[in-house]
Amino acid sequence: MFQSRGVLAPFRALERAIAPSTLRVASYSTSILSSQRPILSAITANSTTASSSTTLPRTNTTRLLSPSTPSLLTFLTQQQVRHASHASQGTANRHSRDPAGKRLGAKRSAGEYVVPGCIIFKQRGTKWWPGENCGMGRDHTIYSEQSGYVRYYLDPERHPKRKYIGVVFEKDGKLPTPRNAVTRRKLGRVAVRFDPADLPNRQPQEQPQSADLVAEITEEGTTVGSVPAAAVDEGLQFRPGYMYREANWSIGRIAERAGVTADVHSRKNRWLAWRRRQARRDRTAQMKSLKRQKKSGRKAKN
Amino acid sequence: MAHCERASKPLLQCLQKTYTKGLPGLQLQSTRAFQTTALAREEVQTETKSQPFYRAPDPELVTNPRLERQLLRQGVAPVGSRRRRAALSDSLNIPFEQLPYQCFQEARKVLLADREEKLRDITSMREKIARLEALTTEQAGGEQVKKSKLRAMELHLDYLKVQADINDPLVKRKFEDGQGDMSKPIYRFLADRKWREYRRKVLVQRITQMKVVPDVVQSCDPTLDTKLYFGRRQIQPGEFVDSKASTEAPKLDVQMFEGGEKLVTIAVVDSDVPNVEKDSFDYKMHYLAVNVPISAVNTKVDLGQLPTDSQVVLPWVPPVAQKGSPYHRLSLLIFEQKESQSLDFAAIKAKEKRRENLHCRTLQDRYHLKPIGAFLFRTQWDDSMYEVMKSIGYPDAEMELRRKRAERLPYKRRNPANMR
Repeated sequence: MFQSRGVLAPFRALERAIAPSTLRVASYSTSILSSQRPILSAITANSTTASSSTTLPRTNTTRLLSPSTPSLLTFLTQQQVRHASHASQGTANRHSRDPAGKRLGAKRSAGEYVVPGCIIFKQRGTKWWPGENCGMGRDHTIYSEQSGYVRYYLDPERHPKRKYIGVVFEKDGKLPTPRNAVTRRKLGRVAVRFDPADLPNRQPQEQPQSADLVAEITEEGTTVGSVPAAAVDEGLQFRPGYMYREANWSIGRIAERAGVTADVHSRKNRWLAWRRRQARRDRTAQMKSLKRQKKSGRKAKN
Repeated sequence: MAHCERASKPLLQCLQKTYTKGLPGLQLQSTRAFQTTALAREEVQTETKSQPFYRAPDPELVTNPRLERQLLRQGVAPVGSRRRRAALSDSLNIPFEQLPYQCFQEARKVLLADREEKLRDITSMREKIARLEALTTEQAGGEQVKKSKLRAMELHLDYLKVQADINDPLVKRKFEDGQGDMSKPIYRFLADRKWREYRRKVLVQRITQMKVVPDVVQSCDPTLDTKLYFGRRQIQPGEFVDSKASTEAPKLDVQMFEGGEKLVTIAVVDSDVPNVEKDSFDYKMHYLAVNVPISAVNTKVDLGQLPTDSQVVLPWVPPVAQKGSPYHRLSLLIFEQKESQSLDFAAIKAKEKRRENLHCRTLQDRYHLKPIGAFLFRTQWDDSMYEVMKSIGYPDAEMELRRKRAERLPYKRRNPANMR
């Protein structure tokens, strides 16, 4: 079929060239035709109305049309534009736009051995439901949660219509299990000894305190070294920055030593939250007003 | 002004206006006609001189949340809703049956007539039952026929007893205030209906979703409303209980909705004891008591206080969960003993000594028990669990359970030789 847009452009050029005189049209068209045979008989039919010098045979359309056809373009648009409404209907046997297969379906068949996380079935929607020891992923993929053997089964007591995929521990195990039977489970864990001292609420043992940075003044100048761990608590030390003071870490632990504990934050206590928010706002407003005063004072000076 | 007072104010204003302004002629009459006792206000006034309200709040009239809490701390529950108490505290103390509304009184007459009819039915049904019982089995048409007839008649009699009172507004009000007498069929019926509306549904959902029903007992149709308390804290079905809280045996509040007394067996089972050698789970009986009497009025059962020489077969052992083990379900089951016959305590005590792997199903088969009540709580590793384990001498307190790495599938070439 004709693709309208692509072909019309050369015609427009043609028409522009033809427009001045019909006589020239004849000569042009013949010359074009002789060079470009494939640009088809439709053109010849129109453009060669006057001249009979072309070698091509006359078509039916030529005979039907009157010799005084107003313009080449109008004629072409009437005949060969393919509207969107038609194009959207598509073509017959259109396979070129079919999407690639998504590789759905069973990845493990019934009776196959699977381990935890093994994908058993890929699907769109829930064609199959996860049964015993199986889970369903975000895209409805069925995977196993235990190592065992795959079973595909129906469980009318659980749901009358659903198809289930399950995993049983024995090679000849059966699914579904009876409704009132004890569920079969595996522990899947090993016992390891642990140190109870690591538990969070245990009383911490006395740990040797770590050393800390101090400064020392000698003849050569100030040298920065570390205090031996035992001497850390012996009062104030001369520290880098030329002052006798406590170590930073021990300042940070003052509250702990004093037994100060912060109240546990409760999100539900909106009254406290409101008071804090209000206090913050007041403080900000105060700071702002102070700033303003400063500015205005400066301005006044200026 | 409390919220509820504000809400009920227009209604009260309307009522007061009716009494004081709207019916001036009636005013004096009404106060005399409907008042059997002194006015509530007058009473209060006489009292206030000696003691202000906030010193001794009345549970019928208290509306202030602070005073309500104060009452609750004293162990007295405020009666009804706060809105109702607010309305009562400001209204004339007219008895409910004598409220001066014509339509109300007419409706009451209809209800009373209906009740009379039901009472007549009850007496006639009682006579019928007595007549049938007097007949011999041959006259009645066989043992089975007589039995089934009697059963049907008794059921109908129970139905009539409930129907006689079910439309009584006073009964409804009393039930809603929590003052219903559970020895009467109507209050038991109302309580059962209320329980089935929500609490039973939740319970059944929990015991089915957490698989108590196939794992511990084959089936269970709860007919008892069971509440469980550790200390003073009520536990919801399926809730995680702190290990420290569960060192002491729980208290039960078992509400029966049938008349008469029943002897029950109470068992607490842990169905998730990890067994590393078998790579699966075991059972452990944490508590077992037999011949525990319960009835609709006698609801409190303290598992720690039951007599050890006649009821407690296996005393309470605190539930523990090893570090890293999945949560433990502790199911409490209440079994009805067959025909409420008492079991031989000494024999059971001699036989059931092992706690490990003592299944409820075995007990059911041995002693013909039927589960009529169930409850569930859960335990998991928490901060105080190690100390609890140490205090009860749990042997594997220092052992932690870690996930076993599952072995992989053998490597399989993607395009084996036969595909190339």
